[in-house]
Amino acid sequence: MSDSATTDHATTTGMSHNKLAMWVFLGSECLLFGALISTYLVYRGRFADGPAPGDIFDIPFTSVSSFVLLMSSLTMVLALSALQRGDIRNNRLWLLTTALLGSLFIGGQVYEFTTFFREGLGYTTSPFSSAFFTLTGFHGVHVSIGILMLMSMFISSLRGTLRKEHSETVEIIGLYWHFVDIIWIFIFTVIYLVPSPTS
Amino acid sequence: MISERLRRRGPLALVAVLLAFLTGCASDAELDTLNPQGPSARQIDALFDPVFYVAIVVFIFVFAGTFIIWWRFRDNHDDETFPNQIHGDTRLELLWTIVPTLILVVISVFTLTTLRSLNSTEANAFALEVDGGVTQWEPEVVVVGQQWWWEFRYYLNGLDGVDLTDARHLPPADIVTAGQMVIPAGEEIELAVTSRDVIHSFWIPALNGKKDAAPGRVHPWKLEADEPGVYFGQCTEFCGLSHSRMRMQVVAMTPDDFRAWIEEQLQPAAEPVEAAAQRGQEIYETQCARCHVIDGFNDNGGADLVSNAAPNLTHLMSRTTYAGGIFNMYEPNGSLDRTQLEAWLRNSPAEKPAYAEGRRGMPAMGLDEGQIDDVVAYLVTLGQKPSLDIIAATEVE
Amino acid sequence: MTETTTVDDVVTQPLGVYTRPRGGTGWRDWITTVDHKKIGILYGVAALFFFVVGGIEALLIRLQLATPNGTVLGADMYNQVFTMHGVTMIFLAAMPLSAAFANYLIPLQIGARDVAFPRLNALSFWIFLAGGIVLNLSWVLGGAPDGGWFGYAPNTGIVFSPSAGMDFYALGLQITGVASLMSSINLTVTILNMRAPGMTLFRMPVFTWMMLVTQLLLVFAMPVIAVALFLLAFSRLFGAKFFDPAVGGDALLWQHLFWIFGHPEVYILILPSFGIISEVIPTFSRKPIFGYSFMVFSGIAIGFMGWGVWAHHMFVSGIGPISVAAFSLSTMFIAVPTGVKILNWMATMWGGRIKFSAPMLFAVGVVSMFTIGGLSGVTHAISPADTQQTDTYYIVAHFHYVIFGGIIFGLFAGLYFWWPKVFGHMLSDLVGKWNFWVMLVGFNLTFGPMHVLGLQGMSRRIDSYSPGFGFELWNMVSTVGSFLIALSVAIFVINVIVSAMKARGQAPCGPDPWDARSLEWLTPNPTPVHNFDEIPVVESLDEFWHRKYGTDEDGRIVRVASAEEVCEDGSAVGVHLPSPSFWPIVFASGLPFIALGLIFNLWLTVPGGLLVVMAIYAWIFEPVDDPDAAHGDHDDHGGDEAAADTTEEAPVV
Repeated sequence: MSDSATTDHATTTGMSHNKLAMWVFLGSECLLFGALISTYLVYRGRFADGPAPGDIFDIPFTSVSSFVLLMSSLTMVLALSALQRGDIRNNRLWLLTTALLGSLFIGGQVYEFTTFFREGLGYTTSPFSSAFFTLTGFHGVHVSIGILMLMSMFISSLRGTLRKEHSETVEIIGLYWHFVDIIWIFIFTVIYLVPSPTS
Repeated sequence: MISERLRRRGPLALVAVLLAFLTGCASDAELDTLNPQGPSARQIDALFDPVFYVAIVVFIFVFAGTFIIWWRFRDNHDDETFPNQIHGDTRLELLWTIVPTLILVVISVFTLTTLRSLNSTEANAFALEVDGGVTQWEPEVVVVGQQWWWEFRYYLNGLDGVDLTDARHLPPADIVTAGQMVIPAGEEIELAVTSRDVIHSFWIPALNGKKDAAPGRVHPWKLEADEPGVYFGQCTEFCGLSHSRMRMQVVAMTPDDFRAWIEEQLQPAAEPVEAAAQRGQEIYETQCARCHVIDGFNDNGGADLVSNAAPNLTHLMSRTTYAGGIFNMYEPNGSLDRTQLEAWLRNSPAEKPAYAEGRRGMPAMGLDEGQIDDVVAYLVTLGQKPSLDIIAATEVE
Repeated sequence: MTETTTVDDVVTQPLGVYTRPRGGTGWRDWITTVDHKKIGILYGVAALFFFVVGGIEALLIRLQLATPNGTVLGADMYNQVFTMHGVTMIFLAAMPLSAAFANYLIPLQIGARDVAFPRLNALSFWIFLAGGIVLNLSWVLGGAPDGGWFGYAPNTGIVFSPSAGMDFYALGLQITGVASLMSSINLTVTILNMRAPGMTLFRMPVFTWMMLVTQLLLVFAMPVIAVALFLLAFSRLFGAKFFDPAVGGDALLWQHLFWIFGHPEVYILILPSFGIISEVIPTFSRKPIFGYSFMVFSGIAIGFMGWGVWAHHMFVSGIGPISVAAFSLSTMFIAVPTGVKILNWMATMWGGRIKFSAPMLFAVGVVSMFTIGGLSGVTHAISPADTQQTDTYYIVAHFHYVIFGGIIFGLFAGLYFWWPKVFGHMLSDLVGKWNFWVMLVGFNLTFGPMHVLGLQGMSRRIDSYSPGFGFELWNMVSTVGSFLIALSVAIFVINVIVSAMKARGQAPCGPDPWDARSLEWLTPNPTPVHNFDEIPVVESLDEFWHRKYGTDEDGRIVRVASAEEVCEDGSAVGVHLPSPSFWPIVFASGLPFIALGLIFNLWLTVPGGLLVVMAIYAWIFEPVDDPDAAHGDHDDHGGDEAAADTTEEAPVV
C-alpha cells in the first residue's frame, strides 16, 4: 500500500506517506541526538578520577571507521540507483556492501569500547564516560537497526521479491541510513575532532 | 498593610476592596510576599505591583467584554437570521497585537533595570573585633542546604580563597550555625548558596526572592533587612520527604547586638559544671558526636550521614528554633520548651519524618528518661539565651 | 488506487498463518480495531478513566491540606500522591484526551477515511495504555514515584529515592512518550498528506491547524524528554553518573532537558483546547472565526516561541542573570500571540447571535479563565517577581487556571460539542449547563484562593503547614472547592449515562444538531465506519456551512439547503477499509514486561522482548489488507515509523 507507483498521485503533497513519515521521524531524531550531544558537551570535561577523553581517544582509528561509514552512504546510493534502473543483481550487491560496511563500523565501535573499558573507562566511571557511551551507543544502535533493515532488503532480493517498483522502500531506508551517517559526522566532530581535555 | 497600600493608590479602590477582602485575613502572615522589609524585596514589590494592576485592568476589560457579549448578543437560535458575517479586521488585529507588545516593552524595561539592580552588590564593610583586633568584614554568609535543615557559615576573613565547590567537605569556618542566620540590620549581606545533597531553595520572602541551593554549584545572592527582627523562610524547592519541615529564619540585630553575637559565637563551648550536665556530655560523646559537632569538645569533621553534616550545637541555646526551624526552643515567656525538646530527643523520627534509617536524619537514640534529662541538662549549657524580643518574634501567631 | 475488493472479500479470503482478524464484535473488535474513530473513543475512555484517578489523587491532596498539620496521608504518601497527580493529569489524562479529539476529528475535518497509518495508530493507543498501566502498577509494587512530576535530579537518584517509584516514572513515561511520538508522526503525515481535494492548508479548520502545530511540537519535544528519561533510567538502573554531583554530575542538566520538553508540552496541552473552542465559538455565535489567518499564525507563533521560554521555569535555579533576562523577555512576549487569540475569540462573539448551550458555556469559560491564568503568567514572566512567586501556591494557581481553566474546560466543550458526532445522541444540555456552572464555581473556589496562599508565602509540594501563617482559611475553601469539581465531574458522568439510556432505541439525532461549520458534520451521526460516502471536494473554509447557506440579492444570509440535503447518508457500501490487526496490542503488551524486567528481574524482559519481536515480524508479514496487490511483504521495511499500512482515498464502489 505504500508503493510509490500507486501513492504518488494520491497524496496531497505528492510524497508517499511512508517517505513523509520518515522525514518527520528524522526531524524528531535530530532533537534526540541534539540532546545527547548537548549532554556530552556538558560532560566532556568531567571525568572525575577516570581517564579523560584526550587521554584515550585513538583518532586515527576512529577516522578510519568513520570513513568506512561514510563510504557506506555511497554504496547505499549505488544500491538505490541500481534498483531504480531495474538492475537487481547490482542492487543486491550494493545492499550487501552497505550492510557490511555498517557492520565493519559497528565492529570498530565494539573494539573501541572494549579497549576503553580495559583502559579503565567503564560506563559508570564518570559523567564523561556515561555521556560518551550513551551517545555513541545510541548511534551504534541506530546503525544496527539500519543494518537489520538492509539485510531484510537483501534477503527479500534473494527471494526475488524486491523489484524495481519497490525502489521507494529502499529509498526510505536510504534516507535513514544517510541520516545516521550525517549524525555521525557531527558526533565525530564533537567528540573526536574538537580538541579534548586531558587529565 | 495590603489594604493600607491599596488605599494610597486610590484609583483602583474597587479592586482594592476585593483584594483587601482576599488578602486582608493575612496581613500579618510571616511569609507574606507583599510585605517587603528590605531593599531587594521592596524593589521586587515595586515591580510586581504596577504589573499586577495592569493585569487587573486587562482582566476587567476581558470580563466586562464577556459580560457585555452575554448581555447583548445572547440568542436562542429560534430563527435562521444571521448577524453580519465579519471575517476579521486587519487593522483591529494589528492594533491588539501592537498594544500588548508596547505594554510589554514598557514592563520589560522596568524588569531589566530591577533585575540589574537585584544582581548588583555594593562593597560594604562591617567592623568586627576578632581576637582583639578590628577586622573589616564584608558581610557574607555561606548558606548550605541539606535534607532537611539549613546551615549558615561565617568566614570572617572573607571568602577569597575559600573553596566552596564541594559542599560536603567545606573548609572550617569561624562560626557555624543552623536554622537561623543572624545578620546586622541595615547592611547588605552577600550570600553564597549551595547544597550538600539535593536541590533546595533559600527564601526569606520579606527580604528577597528565593535562590536555589544546588550541589556542586555556588549561587550568589543577597539580602538586607531594614530593621532588627525575625524574618521567616521556608525551603521552596521540593527536596524529598520532609521538604515541608525545612524552615529557617533570618535574625536581624542592631550592629552592636550583632557584634556581641559574633563575639559570643566565637567562643568554644564551656565545660559543664553540674553533674547532670557532665553525664549528659558523656552521652553526647557516645551517641551524638557521631554526627554533631561542639566546638571545643569534639570536631569529628564529618557526620555519619548522606549529607556528611549535622547541625553544629556549640551555641544551640542562642537559637530560638531547632530541628530544621520547625520547633521553638523557648516559650514566649523565655523559659525552655522542655517538653518538645525531650520529645525530640526521645524519638525524633516521630517528630519529623527524615529517613533516619537511610542516614538522612536523626535516628531515635533509645535514651531512657534519665538520660534524656541529662542530655537536656548538658544542652542548656551550650550558648546564651537570646533576647526576649527575639524569642517573642519567633512565635508564629 | 483502484481497488474493488470489499471488506467482505478481505475477510473471506484465506491469508495464511498471519490472517488478519475479521473485525468481529464486542471486545474483540475493540482490541483489534485500526479505525481512527474507535481508537479516538478508546483514547477518550482511557483518558477520562485516568482523569478520575488523577482527580481522586487531587482530592487526597486537598484533604491532607484542608487543615494545618494534616494527617490524612503522611509525608511519604503525600509525595507519591502529588507526583502521580501531576504525572497522571498531564500524561495520562490531558494529552490522551487531546489525542482522542485529534484521532477522531482530524481525518473527518480534512475529508479523509482514516489516518495515514491505521495500525500504527492502534499501536500508539495500546502503547500509551501500557505506559499508563506501568506507571500505576507502582502503587502496588513498592511505592509510586515520589520525586514530583518534574523529577529534579539528584533528588530522583537512587540514594534519595530508594523505592522503585522513580524507575516506574522513568520507564512508564518513556513508554507513553513513544506512543505520543508515533501518534504525532502519524497525524502530521495525515494532515499534510491526506486532505480532500481542494482542502488547502488555509481552508483547514482552526482545530486541525492547532492539532498540526501540536503534533509538530510533539515530534520535536518527545525525543528531548526521552533523552532525559534515558539518562535518569540509566543512572538509576545501571549506575551511570549523569546526576551525581560528587563526581561532577550537573544538577541543572536535568532541568534544562526536562523544561526544553516541558514548556512546549504546555502548548502541546493547550493548543488542542484552543482549536476546540475555535470551532465551538463561531458555531454558536453564527459568525465565522474572526481573523482566521491571525488565529492560525498566532498558533504557529506560539509553537515556535514555545521553544524559547523553557528557562523561565529556572529563574531561581542559578542560571546566570543574562539567561534570566533573555528568558524573561521571551516569556513576556509569548503573551502577545496568546492575547491575540483571546481578543479574536471575543471579536468572533461580538455582534453575533450567541446561543449559550453547554459547549459554548465551556468555551467562554476557557476564554475568561485562561485569561486569568495568562495574566498571572505575565506577573511571573517578570523574573524578579518570579523569585518571590516560583514554587509557591501562586504558581499552582497560575498553571491550574491554564491547565484546568484553559484545557479541561476546552476539552469539556469539545466533549459536549462532538458527543452527537461520536455517539449519535446529544448529551442533555440542561445537565451540561449544571455541569458547567458547578465546575466553574468549584474551579474558582479551588484555585482562586491559591493565588492568595501563594502571595502569603505558602510553598508548593509541602505535605503540611503549621497554623499561624495565615494559610488555614483559604486551604479549607480550596478543599471545599475541589469537592465541587468532583461533583461537577460526577454530573458529567451521570449525564453520559442518562443520555445514553434515553437514547437507547431512539433514532440517532439529526446530522447537524448545532448548525455547524466544518467538514466532519457532512457525515451522518454517529459517523459511519467509512466516514465519507464520497470524498468531498472542498471549495472554502467552513465548507459545510457554505453548502448550507448562501446570500440573497441583498447580501443577507439565506439557507440554500437543509442539513439533511447536504449531509451524506452513510449508505455507501464496499468502501475499502484497512483490516483490523492483533499485533498492535501484542506489541504493546510486551512493553510492561520489559519495564518490570528492567526494574525487578532482567529475566522478565525475555517474554516482553519476545512479544515485541514477534509482533514486529507478524506486523511486517501480515498481509496488507488488499490481497490483490501483487506486492506485499516488503512494503513495511521503511524504518520504524513507516512500518505500517496506509489507507487510500478509495473510490466508492
